[in-house]
Amino acid sequence: MKLFLYVLTQVCITLVSVCGIYILTGLTGMFSLGSAAFMAIGAYVSGLLVLKAGLNMYAAFAAAIIFSVGIGYVIGFPIVRLRRDYISLVTLGFGESIAQLILLLSQFTGGAFGLIGVPRRVNVWFTLISAVIVIAITAFFKTSKFGRQCIAVKSDELAAQAMGINASRVKMTAFLMSCALTSFAGCLYAFYVGYVGPTDFGWKKSADWVIMVFFGGVNSLTGSIFGGAFLTFLPQYMQALNKYRYIVYAVLVLIILNFKPNGVFGEWELSPRNLKRLFSPKKNRREDV
Amino acid sequence: MSLQILLNGISTGAVYSLIAIGFALVFNILKFSNFSHGATMTASAFIAYFLVASKGWGLAPTLLCSALSGAIIGLIGEFIGFRRILLNHSAPTYFFVSSITLGTLYEGLVTLKTGTNFYVYPNFFDVATVKIFDAVVSKENIIILAISAVALIILAFIIQKTSIGRQIRAVSFDRDTAKLMGINSTLIIQVVFAISGFFGGLAGCFLGIKFTLTSTLGSLVVKGFIASVIGGLGSLTGAVIGAMLLGIMEALFLSLWGSGWATIASFALMLVFLLVRPQGIAGSNVQEKA
Repeated sequence: MKLFLYVLTQVCITLVSVCGIYILTGLTGMFSLGSAAFMAIGAYVSGLLVLKAGLNMYAAFAAAIIFSVGIGYVIGFPIVRLRRDYISLVTLGFGESIAQLILLLSQFTGGAFGLIGVPRRVNVWFTLISAVIVIAITAFFKTSKFGRQCIAVKSDELAAQAMGINASRVKMTAFLMSCALTSFAGCLYAFYVGYVGPTDFGWKKSADWVIMVFFGGVNSLTGSIFGGAFLTFLPQYMQALNKYRYIVYAVLVLIILNFKPNGVFGEWELSPRNLKRLFSPKKNRREDV
Repeated sequence: MSLQILLNGISTGAVYSLIAIGFALVFNILKFSNFSHGATMTASAFIAYFLVASKGWGLAPTLLCSALSGAIIGLIGEFIGFRRILLNHSAPTYFFVSSITLGTLYEGLVTLKTGTNFYVYPNFFDVATVKIFDAVVSKENIIILAISAVALIILAFIIQKTSIGRQIRAVSFDRDTAKLMGINSTLIIQVVFAISGFFGGLAGCFLGIKFTLTSTLGSLVVKGFIASVIGGLGSLTGAVIGAMLLGIMEALFLSLWGSGWATIASFALMLVFLLVRPQGIAGSNVQEKA
């Protein structure tokens, strides 16, 4: 049971960041390989504010999120006008720089030893409720005007601009939202584990999230959530598998990309209407979900 | 700036340009950023270490083994990661995810063998340094510079003068039209992946000589990415110019502030470049086609 609660918390924290990646990658079609760096910023800033400045935990969370959104704006400003490849290249470089910066500012961050002694004030219920709220917000965003603008930009940026959508603003908003959510995940992580290490936030972690989103289906929030939960649960319960974790991930995703490129769920979303359609007699079923 | 810093910078820049070229070749032909390139470098450097260098054979066999295994890894990657996506005409984003996945796969395989241990290539040179005027330069830097320069010149010759080079340029320009003209574009893409892997293998081996071999060696690929952004995404000449510039700047930052800050400074340099001149030095801006 204790293990289950631990894994559940891990899953919830992952889901918060997966929602951020879904907004960025699934809705807007941009890839960030530096999302984990924003998680690091969230974890370190909130942890430091509580430890060194003695701030209230919730205030520290808010400050950390605002801080990383500010950083995200500085990073995003030059790149949202350009081809989408740039965002992956720049965020990858950003991730490496943040890793270096954490080591360099060792009088604050503890350097290679990590930030020790963050109060463990976040429990499983807190993360669970946060995850549910974040998922609800993301689902709301997907169906809102903003979400539809994002999808338009993803499918064809030029056409979207011709329809009067300010593409660079939409891209920027999506990027900033993703920054906010991943840094929130970082806050949760720091206050659940009680320790923040500088090596936990490499590009592999960002790549993991992208892989999770694609595993379940990049166009479907349900799929992304399923991918995030499944790929976090799996290695925790198969300790023998843990060594081969990345290899199993990669092979699974390669199979999916080669043979079912839309992911497990394709475009299918979990909603009362779709559920009803799924279980209804064959004649009513329509393929366009 | 002393001559020593300049020479070290050019030598580092030469390795970066090998990385950037390998990246830019694939970017040119398939129009996506190949993120498995770093892991290809790591994997081939380790294959060369375990197969050749640990047996005490000199520098040349090690380099050759690393480069060839890079080429083979490139071919395998093209086959398992990109072939079907290409044939299905899926969205370019799938190339991207595929390359990330391949990167994790290679790195996972390397980590399985090596763990997080450090490995060091044996000492290939009897005399560690040479003196050029008043600058003391390590011999490995000179050798690296020379071999990289030769490799780049050969590549330039192949791309500009030979039939296969013309075909590569044609496929980069427009895959479908090239196909209509009778070019076997699948074969050309395979060739490009092999060349890209070859250069990745060379770069991986050089990085292993310059630094130490770890399973995260591939993260240095980010320098190649920065170099190609500075030089102009998708331009081969730009990649080399950007890499040289980055190498020299980094050597300068290194002597001023130390290695950690040098990484951050080169990232800031890239951001400034994107603000001021997003098309890069070479100025070939690859636009998203309508």
